[in-house]
Amino acid sequence: MTDADIAQLRTEFQQELARVASESDLQAIRDKYLGRKSGAVTALMKAVSTAPADLKPVLGKLANELKQELEALLAEKKALLGASKAPVGAVDISLPGRTPPIGHQHPLTIVREQIEGIFTRMGYQVLEGPEVEDDYHNFEALNMPAEHPARDMQDTLYLDGEIPGQGRPATLLRTHTSPMQIRYMETHQPPVRIIVPGKVYRRDDLDLTHTPMFQQVEGLVVGERITLADLKGTLTTFLHELFENRTQVLFRPSFFPYTEPSVEVFIGCVFCGAKGCPVCKRTGWLEILGSGMVHPRVFEAVGYDPERYTGFAFGVGIERVALLKYGVDDIRLFYENDLRFLEQFPL
Amino acid sequence: MKILASWLREFVDVAVPPEELGQALSMRGFELASVDRPSSIVDRPSSIVGQPSGSDAVLDFEITANRPDALSVLGLARETATIYSTPLRYLATNGGPLALKALEKKEAIGVAVTLEAPDLCPRYAAAVVDVTVGPSPAWLASRLQAAGVRPVNNVVDVTNYVLLEIGQPMHAFDLARLAGSALRIRRATKGETIRTLDGTDRVLTPDMLVIADAEKTQAVAGVMGGGHSEVSAATKTVVLESACFNPKSVRLTSKRLGLKTEASARFERGADIGAPVNGLERAAALLEEIGAGRVRAGCIDRYPSPADARRLVLRRARLARVLGQAVPDSDVERILSSLGFAPATHQDGWSITVPTFRVDVSREIDLVEEVGRHYGYDRLPATFPALDSLPGRPDARIARDRVVRRVLLAAGLSEALTFTFIDAPMAAHFSDGSAIVPIGNPLSAQFAVLRPSLLPGLLTAVAHNRHRQRQDVRLFEIGSRVTRAGESRGVALAWIGEAGMSHWSGARRNADFFDVKGVVEGIGEALQTTFTFKADHLPPYLQQGRAAVVLANARPAGSVGMLSSAIMAAAGLAANEDIYVAELDLDAIEGARDATPLTVKPLPRYPSIARDISIVVDSTLPAETVRGTIRLSAPGTLVTIREFDRYQGKGVPDGRVSLSLRLTFRSSERTLTDAEVDAAMKAILGALHDAHNAVQR
Ligand SMILES: [Zn+2]
Repeated sequence: MTDADIAQLRTEFQQELARVASESDLQAIRDKYLGRKSGAVTALMKAVSTAPADLKPVLGKLANELKQELEALLAEKKALLGASKAPVGAVDISLPGRTPPIGHQHPLTIVREQIEGIFTRMGYQVLEGPEVEDDYHNFEALNMPAEHPARDMQDTLYLDGEIPGQGRPATLLRTHTSPMQIRYMETHQPPVRIIVPGKVYRRDDLDLTHTPMFQQVEGLVVGERITLADLKGTLTTFLHELFENRTQVLFRPSFFPYTEPSVEVFIGCVFCGAKGCPVCKRTGWLEILGSGMVHPRVFEAVGYDPERYTGFAFGVGIERVALLKYGVDDIRLFYENDLRFLEQFPL
Repeated sequence: MKILASWLREFVDVAVPPEELGQALSMRGFELASVDRPSSIVDRPSSIVGQPSGSDAVLDFEITANRPDALSVLGLARETATIYSTPLRYLATNGGPLALKALEKKEAIGVAVTLEAPDLCPRYAAAVVDVTVGPSPAWLASRLQAAGVRPVNNVVDVTNYVLLEIGQPMHAFDLARLAGSALRIRRATKGETIRTLDGTDRVLTPDMLVIADAEKTQAVAGVMGGGHSEVSAATKTVVLESACFNPKSVRLTSKRLGLKTEASARFERGADIGAPVNGLERAAALLEEIGAGRVRAGCIDRYPSPADARRLVLRRARLARVLGQAVPDSDVERILSSLGFAPATHQDGWSITVPTFRVDVSREIDLVEEVGRHYGYDRLPATFPALDSLPGRPDARIARDRVVRRVLLAAGLSEALTFTFIDAPMAAHFSDGSAIVPIGNPLSAQFAVLRPSLLPGLLTAVAHNRHRQRQDVRLFEIGSRVTRAGESRGVALAWIGEAGMSHWSGARRNADFFDVKGVVEGIGEALQTTFTFKADHLPPYLQQGRAAVVLANARPAGSVGMLSSAIMAAAGLAANEDIYVAELDLDAIEGARDATPLTVKPLPRYPSIARDISIVVDSTLPAETVRGTIRLSAPGTLVTIREFDRYQGKGVPDGRVSLSLRLTFRSSERTLTDAEVDAAMKAILGALHDAHNAVQR
């Protein structure tokens, strides 16, 4: 009987107590150590009484301390067990809840509505137009007469035969949303301030960056004092709203048959922070939309006086915006409808 | 358009690195696609420009369709000179690397030229050159290679060099191979054929312009020469052709023959009517410079109706009105002069002579662009157009589609977008063949016809997900369908697998008819339209007995139900599973919509009394009929009838069904008594018994 025996008994008790998970475990361990007949501590107390007289006071004190300590620990454990006992009707709050089945909106719809929202705030009317079009509205009235080389820029899908269209019979799938410029101006007088979101079609094979169908938002503003500076201000504001303000915007001359001057608009590359990377061909810029001042011939085609009115028009690709905003690297994902893709977008 | 920086610098003296030069031109509308530094470039010995070896580069620009003049070194040099406000060096007869050899115009040059179709060829010039055919000097071949043109021999190479340098396409005929030493510029005869330089036999039509000798066609004008009169090692004398062909004619011919060349690309965009003789003079100087040949006499220049120089007025006020800011006169004059225009003062601004190479400049607005482009769009202010009236209302379809989308998202379906074109066999399942609109020039069989229905696309999307271990798929799409009747907007949904959300607390249940019917009813409610459902006139792709036609105001508005197993297989889905679909014509629903403005009904003031009944009736008896009988026999205080259980099995005889309904009574004037509701229930049960042999359980 030594103080080492006492220390070992304490260690053993602590280990066993740690494993106690129920009231019955607790009773068992109490019996084992403090039981009146066979408890280990009870036996220890007895052993103290037979110890040599000089050691008796020290050992007696140690044994008593051990007994008190064990009783305190047992009481503490008992309280702990009592507290974790579930009240009547309790549930496991860590199990999953019943989520209402809510679907996910297509990312192109999210972007489209965002664009509509920005322009609505700027006072634009949102319109839609037919997807099956006639040659006149898709090309001719937009200063692209038959055999105009610019028609090559937009490889067209033609219908086999004619079908009823809006006005003239439709013969093709519109290659851009610009025919709605003509349709609107044919039936309305200035001032004009519209945007037209919608699907457009090109005879392009499916690959990483092309789909034979994609979506655009067309814009048209006509009035007596509309300038290229207005185009700059409007599109800069739009792009700042769309790409969270910090993006740089660049305006560069280009060519579209229905605008003159024509302007291509670039934003600072979102992938490299405009420093230059393979995506932006090391220029630091990404093309984001085409625009320009409405060509006087377009005004003449719809009976507007090009001396009196000026205007600007623009077109932005919705997929292009979505690719850049969400870091999507394959445009086909937008049309595969893989739920693992769609479910990444908010409701 | 690929050009060598050192070649450009022969025309304009700018000592900036090629990358910087490329970016500067990019900012003026000539998009720089790439800068290459090939190691194999051979410097031109006689060049004006000292080009430290290794610093030369090939710049590749994408030239827009309106600028054929920029498809040349000279054209891009002119732009460069304007950017850097530095003079342009012109081709001149005073020697040096930019030399022209002056050619006198005369008839007797050794070839007879007859211009028979001046409408398709406004100008045709030719010269006869005695040549020593051999390889080109290394520097010349190297410049062609840098531009992506394969060197052939010194004579052909010079024609290509002139094309790249000043943009004038040229052709060399072996004079010895021209019957009668004659060139006739005429329309092809019907069925006429030619073997072009690429070795292909081509059949011509009478609307194509050709260059023929006394006997047969020797070249397709402006597109490609023929093999018969091709310059070979044995050639001693050539006829150099330098002409201007009608753009539309060249474009049609090139398209019809499926043959695009450096020459046709320039002619179809519009060649410089002022350049043909210059082209001959430049080629003559180069042939002499490299010792490849010498012009025999002068040149022939067939130009029956010389065009007057185009003059336009650019108004100072108009310029400011379009750009939104005035541009200083000195800038306007500097820019236009440098680009080759001749501005003279005019009361409103400038009277401007347009150079012949600027075929794209035909109105004042084109001059506005030229000034704006070189003044710099970055220098213009950024303003907002004034809003002087309220914009019109948005297209009503946008808000309607948004409502439909919201209902479907809330019902747990995700939004899909599929292509408007599908394959023909699939389309045939969903529409009468005569109504289907094929695409005339489809890309592939996969996208051959316009979709008469949104369902084929959705089924493809369902199969895509199914093949990726996704068991429960709920998708919808809002979009247009096209048939011979025209374009219409619809919404469709497809539902396979679990009805709700799988949860540890309960068993799963697969979607059935009533899930999709419920969603359709939800759309009806959201669009303020009451739908009725009928089991007749079902479309063939739906399963009889588990499908219905949807009517809005008694007019067909779509259908809902289980897809037939034949279509499942065609769509790549396991035929032993149930997929439920619905499609609604949103345009048709729009017409049936209740347009009455909403007014709120007052809330009931008196309590309601509900009574449940369970009756056993024939299992084929439609619930709608039972409801009708109840309504007819009930007092006006019956407000709702709701089925809450339907049971077949133990305790119910075969062919019969136990139907439980909750009837709710309420009066708007007083509190109903139990006694009067009891009496009403008695009458209802009596009527159900009489009409349907209904037995109360
Ligand atoms: Zn980048």
